[in-house]
Amino acid sequence: MAIISAKNIQRRFIEGKLTTNVLKGIDVEVQEGEFVAIMGKSGAGKSTLMYQLSVLDTPSEGDLEINKVCVSELTESEKTAFRLNTLGYVFQNYALVPDLSAEENVMVPLLMRGYDWTESKQMAKVAIDGVGLEGKYKNLPAELSGGEQQRVSIARAIAGKPKILFADEPTANLDTVSGTQVIDLIAAINKDEGQTVVMVTHEREYALGCNRIIHMEDGQVVSIEELNKYGRGEN
Amino acid sequence: MKSLRIGLLLGFRQIQRANFWTTSLIIFVMMLTFLNLIAVSGILVGLIAGSERAVQDKSIGDIIITPLDDEEKILQTETIRRILDTVPEVASYSIRYQQGIEITANAKTRRDFGIEPNTIGARAVGINPLAEDAVTALSENVIEGEYLNGDEAGYILIGALNLERFTAGFADITGALENVFPGDSVRVTVNGASREFTVKGIVNAKAGDVASFVYIPEKELRRLSNSASRDADEIAIRLADKTPETGIEVKSILTAQEIDSFAKVRTFQEALPKFITDIKQTFNILGTFIGAVGIIVASITIFIIIFINAISRRQQIGILKGIGIDRRAIEVAYVLQSAFYALIGSFLGVLVTYGFLVGYFDANPIDFPFSDGILVAEPIGTLYRFVILFIITLFAGFVPAWIIVRQNTLNSILGRK
Repeated sequence: MAIISAKNIQRRFIEGKLTTNVLKGIDVEVQEGEFVAIMGKSGAGKSTLMYQLSVLDTPSEGDLEINKVCVSELTESEKTAFRLNTLGYVFQNYALVPDLSAEENVMVPLLMRGYDWTESKQMAKVAIDGVGLEGKYKNLPAELSGGEQQRVSIARAIAGKPKILFADEPTANLDTVSGTQVIDLIAAINKDEGQTVVMVTHEREYALGCNRIIHMEDGQVVSIEELNKYGRGEN
Repeated sequence: MKSLRIGLLLGFRQIQRANFWTTSLIIFVMMLTFLNLIAVSGILVGLIAGSERAVQDKSIGDIIITPLDDEEKILQTETIRRILDTVPEVASYSIRYQQGIEITANAKTRRDFGIEPNTIGARAVGINPLAEDAVTALSENVIEGEYLNGDEAGYILIGALNLERFTAGFADITGALENVFPGDSVRVTVNGASREFTVKGIVNAKAGDVASFVYIPEKELRRLSNSASRDADEIAIRLADKTPETGIEVKSILTAQEIDSFAKVRTFQEALPKFITDIKQTFNILGTFIGAVGIIVASITIFIIIFINAISRRQQIGILKGIGIDRRAIEVAYVLQSAFYALIGSFLGVLVTYGFLVGYFDANPIDFPFSDGILVAEPIGTLYRFVILFIITLFAGFVPAWIIVRQNTLNSILGRK
């Protein structure tokens, strides 16, 4: 069953008299529990596509249905609530609030969802433990390495058990070892929890753990590569 | 409620993790702004308050009794005296007699009648020195020589404004005696009758006409003016409790005794000279205007601080919105910060005002020509200013946060314009 269904997604940017078509009518579906990678060269439009699919941006044209909700019809505040309750995000630059501890960073979306302080704290600890950062609950982001910060970011994204996890080049700022750890973690979440994951990446090696790779070029999907369901090294 | 809770968490942590010196500087600016609100208008009002206080303490007293509008003297002065003796709230009173006099300083020494006589016209006040001192502490205003004893004769006090050496610059207009010092002999003439007096002291005070009168024991003044009447020109009353409420209460007691059919009874506030109330009104308007400018400056300061703070965290704000945090939660965080700056700044401002400035200006009043300026910072006025500053600060904190938060989420995350 498709949890994401995008039809004829277009995104244009207009600056003065210059119109740039970044996405030129993309049709894509993501099944529930799937791990999908979006790949392409710089300027191919992969991040822009992910912003549309993750409801961070609004397509210029096209229909987008996520978890049976037609998101194009939502107001801004409804989109915010939808993102909170349905989607999780892992950003390239970790995107943690520098003034909050690791635990508080994970707690914030949970508090927003309506969990009380104690529940949120407990859930945050479980999520942080889950990404292998036991005992680093009180650390500020500045006191963590890049890899650790990204793992806190993943913990924040999955703590509330969203339907879909979006990861925008999660390894871009990490060394190889940390990058591999982060990808393994995301793959494990997909495999163990059945979490739907959509990830943008440059690195083919990291994408090999996915079920499918969507290849993009010049704002269009040029091919879809089906991989072994159980990922890297087993196809 | 959820937004408030998250906003408080974000705001509190931002304050907690902020650079200590930056936070201190912002709080210092807020404290100065608060002081500007309190001190500038407080000193303006204090100029008049100092003048009012001086007039109350050194001239009018807490209640003043003067002749009815169509009378020259207070009728039944002795009856009034007896009534005053029965009112427990009255701590002391001074019955004053006034008389126009001519006073000549060189009457004995002037050999050449071609030389202008050292003479001026003045207003003499006949007093019981002890009673007057109990009401107005006139002895404290003697700047040269000594105060009058209760039982001696042949001595007078001269107000400094009658002497040329104290009125340099405007003596030509007012007329003043030259080279008069304590111990000198002067001739006082009333209705053609003259008598020699020794100047016992020089009186000076920035309060009403205190420094322009000539003080003579009342018996001697009445004798000199050949007046058998005991009806006085004014009676200044000092109350045990100087509050305006007691003044009103005692006035009603006196009115109930029908004193108002013999004389006009007014509290200090009612009897204040019109120029003082006029200046007070003007200074109040001026103080309010300066205060309003201060509040505008404060709100712009806070606006800039919060705007810079929010703009530097624009990406973070975008990410918070991206992960589903309600924009109200983010706005609350910035409003909380401005509330914190306003509260701590104002608290320190209050501490400096009441812990130092008020006491300092009371002990060291600003020396203005017409009064000794103090700092007036009434708690209710301070509270009123604080509430205004606080509300405006919250608004000034909210607006920049609102501007940044309503920007496109993705643009904020990516740092795009």
